[in-house]
Amino acid sequence: MATVYMNNYLIVAIFLFLGILLPVGALTLARFLRPSNPTEEKRKTYESGVEPVGSSWVQFNVKYYIFALLFVVFDVETVFLYPWAVAYDSLGLFALVEMVIFIVLLVIGLIYAWKKKVLEWN
Amino acid sequence: MSGEFIAFFVLALLTIGGAVFMISFTRVVHMVVALAFTFLGIAGLYVLLEAEFVGVTQVLVYSGAISILMLFGIMLTRHDATEVTERKGPFKYIAFAGIAVFFIVAFLGIQSAHWGDQQADFTKQNNVKEIGIQLFTHYVIPFEAVSVLLLVALVGAIILAKKEAEDE
Repeated sequence: MATVYMNNYLIVAIFLFLGILLPVGALTLARFLRPSNPTEEKRKTYESGVEPVGSSWVQFNVKYYIFALLFVVFDVETVFLYPWAVAYDSLGLFALVEMVIFIVLLVIGLIYAWKKKVLEWN
Repeated sequence: MSGEFIAFFVLALLTIGGAVFMISFTRVVHMVVALAFTFLGIAGLYVLLEAEFVGVTQVLVYSGAISILMLFGIMLTRHDATEVTERKGPFKYIAFAGIAVFFIVAFLGIQSAHWGDQQADFTKQNNVKEIGIQLFTHYVIPFEAVSVLLLVALVGAIILAKKEAEDE
């Protein structure tokens, strides 16, 4: 059992290896095939044909951070939902009530964020 | 030399290498990328220990969400600043002595630890289901406390970030 189980991960390892090897190989091969003729215009950062202004290292708006934090909180919630769903059959009503309390508490947080106009983008 | 040993070696190298690079890099953004590699290595080690659920959670929460959160947190600050101060003199030796003592204590602790005679067999039972059953029978109170903790973290972060936005 254990050996068969571990051999399944051999396939994962092969896929991982191929996934790293293919882009590295393709880019290395292209490096040898393509002509090298860099000019000032070619080296510029390209974005939708707009002339780049300033450095790419700008200070972000604080809203990005709140969005990321909201994402982390609900990400953790999903992590707890998963074992609950798998073990649901052998847990019964009590676990359902527990999970409803858990979700309601987090929905309160979401409503708070909504009321504080965190979700709005202006 | 089994495949498991090779996998452990590669993952341990990834984990420790990420941690070492995180300390030695001078730019904070590069540090976060190195830290993400450490998180991925730890996730791989969890999978090796047949704790797939913990491993996937590690990738989902730490490598994915926490790294992005750290990046956004860094982007809010003066992230183009590089670390220049280097402490010299006695501090270096005190730090080295501290690391040496910690290594000896940890090494002796691992050497003398009793791991139990029989290895637990996880292959015959559903890992995630066992976690679910344990979580919702024996550890219900901590589970509900986690939801309160998440709520407090969410509200606290919104209050702090709102204050920051108003100051600007």
